[in-house]
Amino acid sequence: MAEFDPKWKKLREDRSFYLSWESETLKSDEAIGSFLQFDPSALLGEIVPGPLSGIPFAVKDNIAVKGFRLTCASRMLESFVSPYTSTAVARLQAAGGVVVGKTNLDEFGMGSSTENSALKKTVNPWDASRVPGGSSGGTAAAVAAGFVPFGLGTDTGGSVRQPAAFCGVYGLKPTYGAVSRYGLVAYASSLEVIGVMSRSVSTIETVFSIMKGIDPMDHTTLEGAQPKKPSGTIRIAVPRECEEHGLSAEVGKTLAETKRTLAKLGYEIVDCSIPSLEYVVPAYYTIATAEASANLARYTGIRYGTRAIGAENPDDLVTRSRNEGFGDEVKLRILLGTFVLRSGFQDQYYTKAQKVRTAIRNDMAKIYEHANLVLMPVFPTPAFAFGDSGLDSFEQKKADIFTCTANLAGLPALSFPAGIEAGLPIGMQLMAEPFAEKLLFDVIARFEKEFPAPEIPVKIGINHEEHEAHEGRRRR
Amino acid sequence: MARLTLTESEVKRLNTAVSQMLDYFTVMQKIDTTNLEPTTHALLSSNRVREDSNTVYTDTDLLLNNAPELEDKLIVIPNVL
Repeated sequence: MAEFDPKWKKLREDRSFYLSWESETLKSDEAIGSFLQFDPSALLGEIVPGPLSGIPFAVKDNIAVKGFRLTCASRMLESFVSPYTSTAVARLQAAGGVVVGKTNLDEFGMGSSTENSALKKTVNPWDASRVPGGSSGGTAAAVAAGFVPFGLGTDTGGSVRQPAAFCGVYGLKPTYGAVSRYGLVAYASSLEVIGVMSRSVSTIETVFSIMKGIDPMDHTTLEGAQPKKPSGTIRIAVPRECEEHGLSAEVGKTLAETKRTLAKLGYEIVDCSIPSLEYVVPAYYTIATAEASANLARYTGIRYGTRAIGAENPDDLVTRSRNEGFGDEVKLRILLGTFVLRSGFQDQYYTKAQKVRTAIRNDMAKIYEHANLVLMPVFPTPAFAFGDSGLDSFEQKKADIFTCTANLAGLPALSFPAGIEAGLPIGMQLMAEPFAEKLLFDVIARFEKEFPAPEIPVKIGINHEEHEAHEGRRRR
Repeated sequence: MARLTLTESEVKRLNTAVSQMLDYFTVMQKIDTTNLEPTTHALLSSNRVREDSNTVYTDTDLLLNNAPELEDKLIVIPNVL
């Protein structure tokens, strides 16, 4: 079980400590923008005993927590208050954990930078001119800034691992079906999972062990057999295609260093190939948009959500409400999804993508015949800049190449901080066989001893001179 | 099917983006998938069904409170005819 900083428990024991923590967090977050709603008052209420007793955590705002808003960072759900709690959060609450806020995201989880939030801008706590990653950018920023010891995100094509990598924290995408999706607002149901971010591997392991398991409310939950602990030397395979897909110098260098560190720790590094890697991104976006167009059909402005004013009849009401409630990226994905599902086009797009998905699963299964884990970068570049100097929306999508394999094949993957280049953290990821999360924790906990989660050098939102003076005093 | 009507400027922006993505999707035609079955769920092998019984939901007010326009316990919509 994870050991938490005693300061988290002090929050509920010491009223003045709680109040100063609350106001400091609010003040720092004015500059970072990680929370869409911050309400830690439950920490002062009755606390359930358990492994997380009194430990605060943040939840991405597409996961339901009763009494909190559930906006999905969309105008469509801006004032929606959740009438129930997701299974994953309910299990953490039953273990004593306390939700203190809901974090920002790309609208409905659609994006890689949190720039697609209709409600707020979130910056990278390492450098305010850069994106925190996405779509779980708010949780990554809140965890990296130290506002909470852990937070929940969701990973459909990399949305936990990539922001974790951009912000220098650990991010787990569990095996598909290991954690219930009940209470997760659906985007691409066959791909997405609820995941965890933290600055500590053991915290991630503890939180995952509490959240996972069969849930009668989600029929896709699975209790997979724990794979046998590998005997002998653990083999880590590195796909040779990684280098072929344009890694930035910083990421290339960190990949090489990570291989060296893992070899030094006694793991055998072997070469492998994912021949289908070139096709994972188009297959991923075909499937994700198809599922999104069906899942988002429920937003009609009738029973809940934003309703357009002045509609003349119910059909007009639905169309106008959707026009006003959704942002560009959401509209793009709905349009693409309905196109690839059109009769006459299904074989060319949707069915083809599902067959590519089979090819990817086969490629991965072949690798696991001779290796225990697969090592890949998380993203081809470090956190990119906002706006035109960063990556455009199409380039961002193509850059999902290293993350969406795990979603298409349903595999668990853990991204971990592995280097700092030019003042920015760089993340790598290990991918395992289904339900082999334990192996990921064991290997990365050993790596963590060599390279712990980095501290942000200068906290954004803290007056620079004051900070310097404070550091000066500390040094003296 | 999408139940969206786009403004002219949206048509311009989204038209480019949609075509760009559809072009990109054609990359998939290069891979031979002749003997492969489509995957719908990565790990799901069989369907699990629940017991066919009803449960009573009591928080109906919380659900209704999210309705944009309410009259008593009825959700208001524009005239159908």
